[in-house]
Amino acid sequence: MTNIVVEKKVLNENARIAEELREQFHASNVLVVNLISSPGSGKTRLLERTLELLPAGTKAAVLTGDIQTDADATRLARFGYPVRQITTGGTCHLDASMIRRHLEGWSLDELDILFIENVGNLVCPSSYDLGEEAKIVLLSVPEGEEKPLKYPSIFFKSKLVLLTKTDLLPYVPFNLETARTNVHKSNPDAEIVELSCQTGDGLARWIEWLQARMAVCV
Amino acid sequence: MHELSIACSLLDAVRVELKAYPGARVTAIGVRIGELAGVDHESLKFGFDAIVKDTELDATRLEIRSAGRDELDLAFIELEDA
Repeated sequence: MTNIVVEKKVLNENARIAEELREQFHASNVLVVNLISSPGSGKTRLLERTLELLPAGTKAAVLTGDIQTDADATRLARFGYPVRQITTGGTCHLDASMIRRHLEGWSLDELDILFIENVGNLVCPSSYDLGEEAKIVLLSVPEGEEKPLKYPSIFFKSKLVLLTKTDLLPYVPFNLETARTNVHKSNPDAEIVELSCQTGDGLARWIEWLQARMAVCV
Repeated sequence: MHELSIACSLLDAVRVELKAYPGARVTAIGVRIGELAGVDHESLKFGFDAIVKDTELDATRLEIRSAGRDELDLAFIELEDA
């Protein structure tokens, strides 16, 4: 028997493309965030509110991933920023080559921030580096506070956890303190922002979080 | 269920390494999966067995070892001596 010691990432090719993208993003001073959640946690709604609230003059763009339809791109295009739909045709996550392909023709130098809305799925997107500065996971209040324990991988890999739909707190059994504790069990360093796109509560903090990172990127 | 995609990437990675060993027969492939990698061992084995069927890697043993964090590594390839 001959044993070849390899010791490389299984997703080596994805990692290579992601690293190339990351270098391009850094060279162009563009902040890239990868939004991940279950289906229906409010990623598209959050992006709508975010594009409304970004300070005037911010140059933003969105890549939005779905298995089928360009419904999200249509929703997001009305804010006047460049939006492209990535339709995966069945694949449950975005990978780095999809991002590279869909950025063709866009000048990164003309962007301050690129939002990537991943396919709604808490498991598979966590394995794929897209060259982003930060993964951000959304957990909506009706989903329950145990999600960070049930899906530790994505919470472990996310810099920011957004607890969304907080306007529903009076109507659903969701304990914010337990949710925060559970997030920090999976990732002690995760920052948490609670927000409601319906009432606007917490959105200012979210925008500040983005602005602080955009400032670092310039 | 993204283990099939991961099995395909694993196969690509193995074939890249095997270019340096033309004609070699593979007996086992070793993979290390962290508990936070979000990859199910049984699903990966299932996907792997399905895609190597009727290829030169048919019946290759996939050895999966658990690891601590979010590793997802191709650790080794075992070859039959010529």
